[in-house]
Amino acid sequence: MEFSLYGLSDIVLSLKVTALANFFALLIVLSTLTVLFIAPNYRLKRSFYLLFTLLVASLFLIVYAHDYLLFFIGWEVMSISTYFLLSFTLSKEALHKYILFAMASALSLFVAILLLYSTQHSFLYEDAKQSYLAMSDGVQQLFTLFMLIAIFIKLGTIGFHYWLVDAYEESHNLFTPFLSAMLSKMGLYALILFVANITQATYVLAVMGLLTTIIATFKAIEQESIKRLLAYSSIAQLGYIVTVLSVADGMGGALYHALIHTLVKLLLFINIAGVIYVTQKEKLSDLGGLIYKLPQSFVFLLIGIIVLAGMPPLGGFASKFMIYTALLDAKYLLLLAGVMFSSASAFIYVYKLIYGIYLGHPTHKNLEEVKEVPWTFLAPQYLLASLLVIIGTFPGLVIPYINRILGELNLTLLSFETIQTLITSYAQYNGFVVMGAFGGIFVLVLMMFMLLRSKAKKPKNRFDIAYCAEEPNEATHLHYGYSMGQELKRVGLIHLIAKNSSKYFYDFLAKQMQYFSEVVRKIYSGNLLLNFNIAVLFLIILLLWSLK
Amino acid sequence: MILFDLLFMLLVAYITGFLYYGLYRNITARFQRRLGPPVWQSFLDSIKFFSKEESISHGWMFYLGPVIMMSGAIMTLFFIPLFHTGESFKGLSSYGNLFLVLYLLVLGALGNALAVGASGNPFGVMGVTRGLSRLFALELPFYISVIALISVSGSADIVCIAASQTEWNAFAYPLLFIAALFSFVGMMGQAPFDVVGAPVEVYSGPASEFSGKFLALLMSQSAIFTFAKLVLMVHLFLGGASGFVELLAKSFGLFLFVIAFGAMYGRFKTPQSIDFLLKVPTSIAIVGLILATWS
Repeated sequence: MEFSLYGLSDIVLSLKVTALANFFALLIVLSTLTVLFIAPNYRLKRSFYLLFTLLVASLFLIVYAHDYLLFFIGWEVMSISTYFLLSFTLSKEALHKYILFAMASALSLFVAILLLYSTQHSFLYEDAKQSYLAMSDGVQQLFTLFMLIAIFIKLGTIGFHYWLVDAYEESHNLFTPFLSAMLSKMGLYALILFVANITQATYVLAVMGLLTTIIATFKAIEQESIKRLLAYSSIAQLGYIVTVLSVADGMGGALYHALIHTLVKLLLFINIAGVIYVTQKEKLSDLGGLIYKLPQSFVFLLIGIIVLAGMPPLGGFASKFMIYTALLDAKYLLLLAGVMFSSASAFIYVYKLIYGIYLGHPTHKNLEEVKEVPWTFLAPQYLLASLLVIIGTFPGLVIPYINRILGELNLTLLSFETIQTLITSYAQYNGFVVMGAFGGIFVLVLMMFMLLRSKAKKPKNRFDIAYCAEEPNEATHLHYGYSMGQELKRVGLIHLIAKNSSKYFYDFLAKQMQYFSEVVRKIYSGNLLLNFNIAVLFLIILLLWSLK
Repeated sequence: MILFDLLFMLLVAYITGFLYYGLYRNITARFQRRLGPPVWQSFLDSIKFFSKEESISHGWMFYLGPVIMMSGAIMTLFFIPLFHTGESFKGLSSYGNLFLVLYLLVLGALGNALAVGASGNPFGVMGVTRGLSRLFALELPFYISVIALISVSGSADIVCIAASQTEWNAFAYPLLFIAALFSFVGMMGQAPFDVVGAPVEVYSGPASEFSGKFLALLMSQSAIFTFAKLVLMVHLFLGGASGFVELLAKSFGLFLFVIAFGAMYGRFKTPQSIDFLLKVPTSIAIVGLILATWS
């Protein structure tokens, strides 16, 4: 659908249904429905839902827009409605951070779009490549810079993530799943459009993606607040996608991982929203030992972390496998090693997450009286977890859909034989056999073990453990693992990551800005005579310049 | 037919694994000027533990932990072919690949980590913490070596990698082999990287809460898992194996090296071992990768 702006006949706007747009629209629908499922548990103002609807509408505008002007309008509405949605719970500082970054993102997007428009006088996606090629080298780089700044801020890649972590941590528990699953995906959508339509920007994406995964993973390891930990993990997961988008055939892996990440982050954030709902506690150090109080939630979090860590039988491995082989195909071997390294480091924070909440010992008396979370929290988790299990068993299931998108973007298609197998040029694996073998072996071992009449006794109480021949009591510090990863700070390379923060950079920036404002304030002092003189001076300069 | 294959592989791994474990105890004893236990002592121990009645269970997650660990070990074994030639004893390797195996190698340990957490024993969790902290540093040199091998052989299929070696990879790419060996020593739980169980130092690591039948299951999985890891290394670096004698000879040679290495060195602290692994073997592996793939 194309239409032109009233009075401006040369600006053509366009909305178009494409396979890529449909893919993201499907994710929006899924996230919205699952998130609204948990809404009845919270008492929220009506304006919250109004803004939420506006936000969802703007997301649809972003994905179905087929020119950069409509895209920008959607982007702006999204940023602003998110601001008001965040303002329900965020502290003033975090809110300021968010709006500053969101505006910086929107402005640099705007500049980039205008640069694009300046050469071919068209905002349409299909003209973007030509407009880009028509620019001079310097302008091309400027355009790439502004475009990537806008995208990176939304994605929250490292260095641009300063707003994101606070926003995730303090946002309403109902809204966090949506923030992580959907809003960051819009940055990804913009990046995919950029990579597919305009230019690949290989080295920038590769370096940025790798730094993001590694640094965010180690930052996630040191967090004690659950939502902060997951926020960093979200950044790290998007880092994988940015990395894989840097290679020519990476689009398939990127889309696959985007799907998996949306599902798993919805699952995890809804899960911990449930935990926070029943316990009113948000820190790993305040929780613990909930496994037998919330058994269903425990299983769902377990599924979530298995996917997050990319462990084989479930869907996480499929997308990781796609990413790895795409990098291997492009011969980016050290990049691949870096990504796998970060993936292995992620085991620490996923274990920390599940241990801190569900395992170990309860750290408070009232944790021993909590009940399973309401079914409104569990129902969406059943849906998401079963989707992840199905994708793990049939990893080829989504390949035809991804191929349709790739075909539309004129990229190499992924090979597809059956829904059970995932085939790349280097290797293939059969998800059905892996799942079946694991399930079969597990059941057989369990049955044989039970046949040995291992009717293990229940302990008298939770202190009945092997404890160096002593007996611990209430006062003993037994919930040990929630601070896991602290000793990593003693390793030089990791200490470097832990010690530094983009906060210092932005503080520095703010200070410089203050000095600058100070100078401006000295000129604009309210002294009428001085201002008049300056104005006259400027006028003379302007006159001289125009005469020349 | 495939079921028979799998059963046979399991049997071989079980027996050989315990044989190697017995030899390990014997050989380490000789290093320390002791006699050591009889070779089959560990096997008999595990049988005895299986017949023990008493054991405490801290709920279903605790109960399932050793079972998951056993399943992880058997999965690893099944997705690694015993021989790279011929039709039989390939297991399920044609349905998987090396990336899958790399993940399966840590699957069991992570499953058991959940059980350790569920037991609520802080000493067990201490072992898990140390293990997880060390894990990524341990895997990095191994990953880099494996990636280089996949790249030069053009396939992530273990059979292909094993078959593509005209000269053993260990000699064709010595730096990659050395780097991978550092990781391998750690994966086998040998000094100087044995920070997880850390005998004498930590009360007894992840296994501290498991007794009786649980311990028996853990011992058996350890035997199977050891064998699976050795077979993987033989296929990756030592030219693969086309018969039992060749497989046993190569894997035992490798095993002997690992235990000799372990017997010679003291133990690193956890941060020290991470630091060392991130510096020395990783640098060796990166240089090896560049040399191997430079064209």
